[in-house]
Amino acid sequence: MIRFITKRLLLMAPILLGSTLFIFVILRVAPGDPVDRIVGPNVTKEVYENIRINHGLDKSIAEQYVVFLKNLSKGDLGNSILQRRPVIQVVKERIGITLKIGSAALLLSFLLAIPIGTFAAIYPGKPLDYLLMTFSMIGISMPTFWFASLLLYFLSYRFRLFPISGYETWQHYILPVVALGMTDAATSARMVRSSMLEVLGLDYIRTARAKGVSEKTIIFVHALKNALQPIITLLGMKIGWLFGGSAIVEIVFSIPGIGLLLVDSIFARDYPVVQGTMLILVVFIMIGNLLADVIHAIVDPRITFD
Amino acid sequence: MKKKTFLLLLGCLLFIGLAGCSKGPATDTSITSPLKSELIIGYEKDTETLDTFKTSWFSDSLIYVYDRLISRDYDFDYKPSLATRWETSEDGMVWTFYLKDGVTFHDGTPLSSADVAWTLNRIIDPEIAAPIAADYSSIREVIAKDPLTVEVHLNHPYANLPFVLSSTSAGIVSEKSYTEKGNTYGISALNGTGPFKFVEWKQGDRIVLEKNDAYEWGPDWMENGGKPQIDRIVMRIIPEENTRMMEIEAGNVHVLRDVPATFKDQLSKNENIKLFSGDATKLVYLAYATDKTPFNDIKVRKAINHAINRAEIVDYLMRKAATVADGYLPPALKSEYFADSSALSYDYDPESSKALLKEAGFPEGFTTTLAAENTSQFTKLAETLQHQLKEVGIDAKINMYDTASYADMLKSGKQDMFIRLYSWPNADILDYLLLSSQFPYPNHSRWNDSTTDDLIKSAASSSTWEERSKGYHKVQKHLIEQAVWAPIYIPEMTIAVRNEVKNFKFHPWIPQFNDNLTLE
Repeated sequence: MIRFITKRLLLMAPILLGSTLFIFVILRVAPGDPVDRIVGPNVTKEVYENIRINHGLDKSIAEQYVVFLKNLSKGDLGNSILQRRPVIQVVKERIGITLKIGSAALLLSFLLAIPIGTFAAIYPGKPLDYLLMTFSMIGISMPTFWFASLLLYFLSYRFRLFPISGYETWQHYILPVVALGMTDAATSARMVRSSMLEVLGLDYIRTARAKGVSEKTIIFVHALKNALQPIITLLGMKIGWLFGGSAIVEIVFSIPGIGLLLVDSIFARDYPVVQGTMLILVVFIMIGNLLADVIHAIVDPRITFD
Repeated sequence: MKKKTFLLLLGCLLFIGLAGCSKGPATDTSITSPLKSELIIGYEKDTETLDTFKTSWFSDSLIYVYDRLISRDYDFDYKPSLATRWETSEDGMVWTFYLKDGVTFHDGTPLSSADVAWTLNRIIDPEIAAPIAADYSSIREVIAKDPLTVEVHLNHPYANLPFVLSSTSAGIVSEKSYTEKGNTYGISALNGTGPFKFVEWKQGDRIVLEKNDAYEWGPDWMENGGKPQIDRIVMRIIPEENTRMMEIEAGNVHVLRDVPATFKDQLSKNENIKLFSGDATKLVYLAYATDKTPFNDIKVRKAINHAINRAEIVDYLMRKAATVADGYLPPALKSEYFADSSALSYDYDPESSKALLKEAGFPEGFTTTLAAENTSQFTKLAETLQHQLKEVGIDAKINMYDTASYADMLKSGKQDMFIRLYSWPNADILDYLLLSSQFPYPNHSRWNDSTTDDLIKSAASSSTWEERSKGYHKVQKHLIEQAVWAPIYIPEMTIAVRNEVKNFKFHPWIPQFNDNLTLE
């Protein structure tokens, strides 16, 4: 297992390098100049050029990339052009809030998706299946932004059950987590259903039934464990979604998380912040996928670490 | 083994999830249950830094944390602030400011002329490359003559110095604090002499200030020149406009700055909220690349001006939350504004427009592009202008851009017609946007005209304010005659204030929350 993990970790290096290069170039090729957000209409050419030089923006993209890699090797993600302070510090302040919302939403999503998908699969083609899958289809079709706005309008604004915006108390987290978690549960529930249906049609389930094992034991002991394997794969991929999806709820509920920081930084062309945030995101996704593979291999003896 | 792994996984998720729902670290919960003396203000955007030497875009908080030598009263006139008075040498090259005695910074150290000289000299220091330095280019050197006297030596006579010295960037910084705090200054520390002290800045979330109990040197034009009546100001960042509206209606925010026109009706129906409006020092205009065919022809430029129905745009698109713009400056600039702009401006007259196009050699009109930033306000405006221009035969294809791409496009000179907004409380905006030396950016209308250059330079180097104003009147008259832009409207600045806030007075620039304002 250690060999497997080491191999995978070593493979991460070129992926990481490739993704940093891709992000670096894309950002600089895109139209726009971060200095425009610092200076006003009345800036002199000298001051403008001085600011560009101070941030190394006068150098070629290749030179800038080499500097970026040199700094990265020392664990330095550079300084925000707009905020004039280390990117690490900026990201550190914001990442905790996003991780809280994202992980709570992921938990809620699985807690909803697993029973919904399972029950729909137990009664395929029956009214309960149609009912659950109709709800799931509504969830899939409904954009998170719209669902979050509806929750905000009715539950916070009209009925005053929850705070409208901010992140100070645990009550502030309920609606963002519900908005994010429920829309995701809709997709996951369909996946659990189809996986469960496949497992329930397998020979070992038929054998269990023939042996007279109770239906409850068949479903919850024998079938569910195997049906959940695709969910483990999904878990690895969901790490990226934690960031992307939370940007939407962060905007609606005015939560200063990393999603909102990324969106703001892209619009302001604050290259170092976008690079740093994306790099951390890539690392999270890679670690998530590695964890999913490791868990897969532990759970399913047919999969080896080789 | 499998069961254990599954349970472990579930346990981990549960732990992280519960951690997510726990209370945040050391945050003040007073936001959700405001204290009586805590004023909460909603803003759309946060600032990037609070260090005035490092940006051109300033947070309102700096107005309250710092004092400036000169202030602007409710009529937008220049009045003494930290300086009790000032005088100008006969040749207009030296301005002498006499400071108030007994003023102290928030850390208790006394304000001295050395801090004033240090602040202003640092802005103009080329080594520092302060983004705002161009505003101060008339200043050669600032000298502390004695502890309460400061001399500002100029490169040329400059009647506009009170504007520069009353702007947010001119807040007097404590040299000692700035040097001691290093890179943390402007992020976790600020030290000024203003009516409110800096407490904390949670980026993307809020800035918190608390009253300066020692404050007793407010300007004379304020009813309360002493310490503020409210204990704290919390400036909350709420990026989504619907969320901002809900927060003030729910009573969680007391004041909203810059209420969008689309929400004015909704808020005006709420009996717990009062709206305060006034003309903003902004202008929305249609510009065109004047060095390109057909816009290099004055007849075409005049035809475009005649084709635009500004009253319709103000009434229906802006829902009357704006006034028709006749000239190149907003009337809120008072003496700098050319009062005859209205008489000389181009009426909505499609027939005259068509006749001018015919004279210019475009009897069937022409095809062009119309660029704008992709905000909802400018998208609607672009569509309306497209429709109005079509009436006279100008077929404009709309291209929308995000802010950064828009600036890039204008710099590269790809524009034909384009919509712009400026927000600037001084006539010198015309210098920045129309002098040929500013070509190609920010002179994005690519106006290269020696008469405009001469008129602006003459006005800008006037030694008295009256002379300068007259000079800028000539500039504005010339620009109208040349139809350099098509001015459209001046948006209203609307501030929503809940009834709990007492004694709120509209200020054309920034609300003065220390002036007798109380909370019930």
